Amino acid sequence: MNEKTDSELKEGIILKRQLTLPNDIKTIPQLSEFIEGIGEELDMDMSLIMSLNLALEEAVVNVMEYAYAPGTQGNVCIKTTANETQIEFIIIDSGIPFDPTKKEEVDITMSAEERPIGGLGIHLVREIMDTVNYEYKDNKNILTLSKKIK
Amino acid sequence: MIIEIKEQDGGMKAILNGRLDTPAAVKAQQEIGPLLENADKEIVFDCTNLEYISSSGLRLFLTIRKEASVKGGKVIIENINDEIRKVFMMTGFFNLFEIRNA
Repeated sequence: MNEKTDSELKEGIILKRQLTLPNDIKTIPQLSEFIEGIGEELDMDMSLIMSLNLALEEAVVNVMEYAYAPGTQGNVCIKTTANETQIEFIIIDSGIPFDPTKKEEVDITMSAEERPIGGLGIHLVREIMDTVNYEYKDNKNILTLSKKIK
Repeated sequence: MIIEIKEQDGGMKAILNGRLDTPAAVKAQQEIGPLLENADKEIVFDCTNLEYISSSGLRLFLTIRKEASVKGGKVIIENINDEIRKVFMMTGFFNLFEIRNA
């Protein structure tokens, strides 16, 4: 892909991987395999792999469910870069412009009766990752997530 | 099968197995009818073999919890692992359910 969706990590890159999935939630197990493979390669503990898996599932499902009009096919691309201390995921789609970081924070102190059913996905992404940044460029939604791994 | 539902004394038991990711939760959503119908009773989720949960799985729990509070039932979640406990903490779900460890 072009330089506009290149990683911010420049120095000491030890891993680069890319996965492209169609906007079909049935392909989510492929995403888990992808994350697990990266986690093992970088020698992460199971707990960190599980957290990254969850954040990525939430971010990617969000694209699969909302980026493209119902019945329209589209892709979501996940570009991963890591150095010794940090991992970065860039999630790219060419659907309708949508900034998930603008979504209102859920109030997790609410009772079950008051709690809305949705909104937890992006909340989990924010909780797990250290940084969450959104850009819309060249007709693409670009969501960059990063986390310290060491 | 991700969810197995049984009747038990005074209510229902739902045994969850494996990964409750988005596609599994969408499937399970079609199968929770008996739990919603019995939401006036005690519903126990046995999570001993539940490995992973995402927000769509949490929504499933919340849907049943909401129904139980309308109908006067109770939802108990048993034996969640440490990772799932973390997800419950991050989302405030820990306070919404009675959580038990055997």
